[in-house]
Amino acid sequence: MTTTYDSIEPGYRIDGPQFPVSRESIRQFCDASLDYNPLHLDDNYMRGDFGKTNFGGIIMHGMNNFGLITRMLTDWAYPLGATHRRLETRWIKPVKPGDVIQPAGTVRSKTKSTKARWVVIDVVVRNQHGEPVATGEAQIEFPPQQTAAGTQGSAGKETQ
Amino acid sequence: MAQEAFETDFWKDAGRRRVWDDIVPGEPRETIPYVLTLEAIQKYCRAVGENHPLYFDEAYARATPYGGLIAPPSIHILLMFACTPADDWMRSPGTVNAGQSWSYNIPARPGDTITLQARALDKFVKKDRLFVVHDNVFFNQHGKVICSGRGWTIRPM
Repeated sequence: MTTTYDSIEPGYRIDGPQFPVSRESIRQFCDASLDYNPLHLDDNYMRGDFGKTNFGGIIMHGMNNFGLITRMLTDWAYPLGATHRRLETRWIKPVKPGDVIQPAGTVRSKTKSTKARWVVIDVVVRNQHGEPVATGEAQIEFPPQQTAAGTQGSAGKETQ
Repeated sequence: MAQEAFETDFWKDAGRRRVWDDIVPGEPRETIPYVLTLEAIQKYCRAVGENHPLYFDEAYARATPYGGLIAPPSIHILLMFACTPADDWMRSPGTVNAGQSWSYNIPARPGDTITLQARALDKFVKKDRLFVVHDNVFFNQHGKVICSGRGWTIRPM
């Protein structure tokens, strides 16, 4: 069945891509994001304590999760003519080289505003043990409902 | 336009950066304009496995409502570091990202000159940790908002 705004119900699932994390992928993210924080580069530094936390080695950028969630959302939205409008995330657990992470989304609700239709999606990134490493929520905008005369929002303009 | 070489050693300017105590909520951060190249967009895309033709295939992108190649929404991850100077406190070693929320208006495109308006908005102590809330708005060369967002970081002690 073709997915449309009307066919999407709360509970609808979106599966994102698996992403194997390695020292190389973390280094590549440093070069791509210009974020060269030693958290992601320097094992000696990461053997030290951060307050009550000890990571024991380098960790992946939290924003790598953010980038993967975005990829899942846009790959889903573009073919539907929809637009990714918002993403809020929290990091739950550090991700380390050797982990394999995968984002997923579950539609929580749908809402119509004056000029658009919205889908609110709960997002989560899990590691290979099924543990959440990041959670959040996203909003995708769908254009106004199409009618026989065209898009409701623009139909008036055409007759002026 | 030639852009200054990016300093990848975040320790080098560490002594010049503001610590949590020095950060004044509400005070604008110094920022620098950045020309976003197609090469930089695609390098970012490859790092997260983005392979959508809107980012890689000019002929495909031109035939879509976007009218040409664009950057993925999450390109602000790169823009945050590209638009801030080496002594900006976001580069302090040990800065831990606790969460982010971003709203997207229009896409960034290859060749755009991106500017950033940014400030710390709030700072607080929670569970013995030093937090800063920072807000950021990215604009293109036409003064249009590309995206806006907030981040919560834990500052190194």
